[in-house]
Amino acid sequence: MSLVLEIVTPDKIAFSEEVKSVVVPTLNGKIDILSKHIPIIDRVIPGDLKIEHNGKCNFLAIGSGFVEVYGNKVSIITDQAIDVSNQDESEIEDAIQKAKKALEEGKKSNLDRAQIEQLEAVARFEMAKKIARSKSR
Amino acid sequence: MANTRDIRNRIKGVKNTRQITRAMQMVATSKMKKAQDAAKAGRPYAMLLADIISTIADEFEEVTQSYFLERPVKHRGILVIGTDKGLCGGLNGNLFRAVSQIDNSAKYVAVGKRSSQFLSRTRRDLLADFSIPDKPTFADVRKIVEFMLRSYDEGSIDTIEVVYTSFINTLRQEPETIRLFPLNDLDSMVEKLHSRFQSDSKPASKDNREILIENKDAVLAELASLYLKQEIFQLVLESQASEHSARMVAMKSATDNAGSLIDDLTLQYNRARQAAITQEILEISAASFSQ
Repeated sequence: MSLVLEIVTPDKIAFSEEVKSVVVPTLNGKIDILSKHIPIIDRVIPGDLKIEHNGKCNFLAIGSGFVEVYGNKVSIITDQAIDVSNQDESEIEDAIQKAKKALEEGKKSNLDRAQIEQLEAVARFEMAKKIARSKSR
Repeated sequence: MANTRDIRNRIKGVKNTRQITRAMQMVATSKMKKAQDAAKAGRPYAMLLADIISTIADEFEEVTQSYFLERPVKHRGILVIGTDKGLCGGLNGNLFRAVSQIDNSAKYVAVGKRSSQFLSRTRRDLLADFSIPDKPTFADVRKIVEFMLRSYDEGSIDTIEVVYTSFINTLRQEPETIRLFPLNDLDSMVEKLHSRFQSDSKPASKDNREILIENKDAVLAELASLYLKQEIFQLVLESQASEHSARMVAMKSATDNAGSLIDDLTLQYNRARQAAITQEILEISAASFSQ
């Protein structure tokens, strides 16, 4: 039985294909999901997502959200998902620097907790892009 | 009778107006299309999120998280989604009529210049107003939702409701009020979502499911706030689709009116011109007779 992976973001379905396995970064560590996995629901944290299909490995950077496994379907609901293989390295580096700077400034000027958390998520997502990028080569 | 030059000037003016309203109609048409597409694109996300919430909430015998509990309502918290610009027919008027039926204890958050103007003019309790750009992103909506959630947590509002213009079709948009928080009736919420998106996929019955989550209250709160963000995002997109189609219809009728005005004026112009010519001939012949 094959596994269907669906990644949904607010503006589109970012990924919907049959895969062999998928490694998802969650709050409790990374979990590798193959077919016939037990049904679970878990928090997804920003990080790199490894997809194995057609004998190849793909890496996506995803933001925070939730993962649901039921039957042969894996649904990931997240605020953003980006295929990093066609992104420029220096662009990512710039984005990381920018996110870090915004975070520092936010901490200095006592933004409220929610906003800092949000900045942190952005910074983590940018890092995830970098990691996913370096792994996909 | 007006002289011919005046009429000619007026015709020119009306033609210019018609050109502008026609251009606005075109712009509104393409924007409406885009807003509708954006609203459609968000549906899978909404459905999946609602499914996850209802499955997780089913697992718990008793949900103690405050987002899921009904509490005595002292102040309703109402988000009014209006437009920034006018010239969109009766859209804002209808919306504000719906708002004015709400009693005075409610507190408001406004989206769009028109609605904040209306709320402050009618001396309602306006907590904050936000403006949303033309192509809203999830992040634009986030700040609104975070503000409302904070007020909800602090207890200054006891519900979160949205008054917006629902898009029925290009010619019909109607104001509607939706209560989003507290989420005390999850089943009907999921059902409503399905019926609103006219999706025929029933939520699969899910049993013997293990949930790998440590802090369930926190996760539920996170899910609920995500749901709220997503819902409000959808409603903003839908309001924009309504706004653009209302503007399109208003501008279309303005263009048509300008056209018929031009026809009338042209008729009047020709008549005036003819009258002037007749007058002139009369004068010439009268003059030649008297010689």
